[in-house]
Amino acid sequence: MLVIVFGGAGRTSAAETAAVSKPELEAKIKYCEICHGHSAEGFEGYYPIPRLAGQTPDFIKYSLQAFAERTRTNNIMFHVARVLSPDMMAALGAHFHDLNAKPLGAGPTDLVAAGKEIFETGVEPRGGGRIKSCSSCHGDNAEGNQDFPRLAGQLDDYIVDKLTNWSKEFGQHPSKMDVSRIMQPIAEALTEAQIKAVAAYLSSLQ
Amino acid sequence: MKLITSYRGRGTEVGDEPMVLSFPSAPAGTPREGCRRRIVKASGLRLALQLAIAVVVFATAAGGAATKALAFSSHELAAKIAYCQDCHGPAGQGYRGFYPMPRLAGQQVEYFEDQLRAFVEGRRLNSIMSPVARSLSPAMMTALATDFRAFNPRPLGGDRRELAAMGEKIFQDGVPEQNVPACAACHGPEATGIKQIPRLSGQLYLYMVKTLTNFRKDRKEHLSDVMYPVVESLNKRQIEAVAAYVSSLR
Repeated sequence: MLVIVFGGAGRTSAAETAAVSKPELEAKIKYCEICHGHSAEGFEGYYPIPRLAGQTPDFIKYSLQAFAERTRTNNIMFHVARVLSPDMMAALGAHFHDLNAKPLGAGPTDLVAAGKEIFETGVEPRGGGRIKSCSSCHGDNAEGNQDFPRLAGQLDDYIVDKLTNWSKEFGQHPSKMDVSRIMQPIAEALTEAQIKAVAAYLSSLQ
Repeated sequence: MKLITSYRGRGTEVGDEPMVLSFPSAPAGTPREGCRRRIVKASGLRLALQLAIAVVVFATAAGGAATKALAFSSHELAAKIAYCQDCHGPAGQGYRGFYPMPRLAGQQVEYFEDQLRAFVEGRRLNSIMSPVARSLSPAMMTALATDFRAFNPRPLGGDRRELAAMGEKIFQDGVPEQNVPACAACHGPEATGIKQIPRLSGQLYLYMVKTLTNFRKDRKEHLSDVMYPVVESLNKRQIEAVAAYVSSLR
């Protein structure tokens, strides 16, 4: 663990120039790792705790702000985020983006092919119309881009839980424009089987 | 009764060894006295339990394949359960012996089995439990874990209730200013645990305090090192508060 902390700290030169001291940042990283895994690969706690390794810095910062402002509902993460300065959020984002842990483990392998198909070409939902490919925003390899999160290597059951409960957790401030709104109609239109397939595919990606 | 007799001999021996932190507030009495009281209290329930287990084992034996996996007789299992109950309480509710004996009732099966293996492999250091665990086959470990999982007695309770509200806040919200995460993230909002993460609800107050205070010293497991920074960020009063809270949960 020490190796990871010091190794990580060496790479966060951007963070050091910000208004965050190195010991403070290292202590906070260690704290994140308690639940998110020693290499931020994610962890199966009582809840599935998401992978942060390789996540886009923008998405980490955006998520922490959303937790702190309670536009994203999660009591545990609200308390985590409420004490973080914007500079600390940015420094954590930079740190976790640089990690490259192996995925924690894939979901059901028999669903991967169906999930890949949905991810790359989209689906026709029951109500008509068409859901575009996931890759058009999340990238061909689900690597994410700025506010659009990386999904590659994310925990299978975490993705299932988010897509299933999207409207209860995200975009909870009606008057505030929130990038998570983009996903709301998509998550609501996907069937349980489609959600499971996409999750299995994403969890299998390095 | 054979096993019980041998246990009492062993209990007296290990009682003389320096072991873990002792607590001045722990109830007085030697392990030997404690066990004797327990045996008397437990006997009726134990008999009923042995009969119930015998029925289950015989029913399973009819299945054929399952018989091989068991690899011990119903009598052996019943005797081993009785042996655990001597210290851990007739319903696995824990016991305030010379050392606080942890509640086993309702514990997660995976965690229970892993801890027994940890005692054998030296990942968890405890001079009483290591010999206990070394005598168990893997199949017996599974059977015991499954058995104690099914118990649901009331928590022993009664400790430091005035701290429970403070403990609840730490457990559910964490102490982000001190980099302490919410216990609920891994142990669940009702402290039931899951798979390899232990149930804490109803655990003995003194056992919780002892465990959190001595964590790094007693537990060398790779799964436990996740707790090191947590316990080291909590102060004494916060540890007592969390212990008071979880010990009050049903």
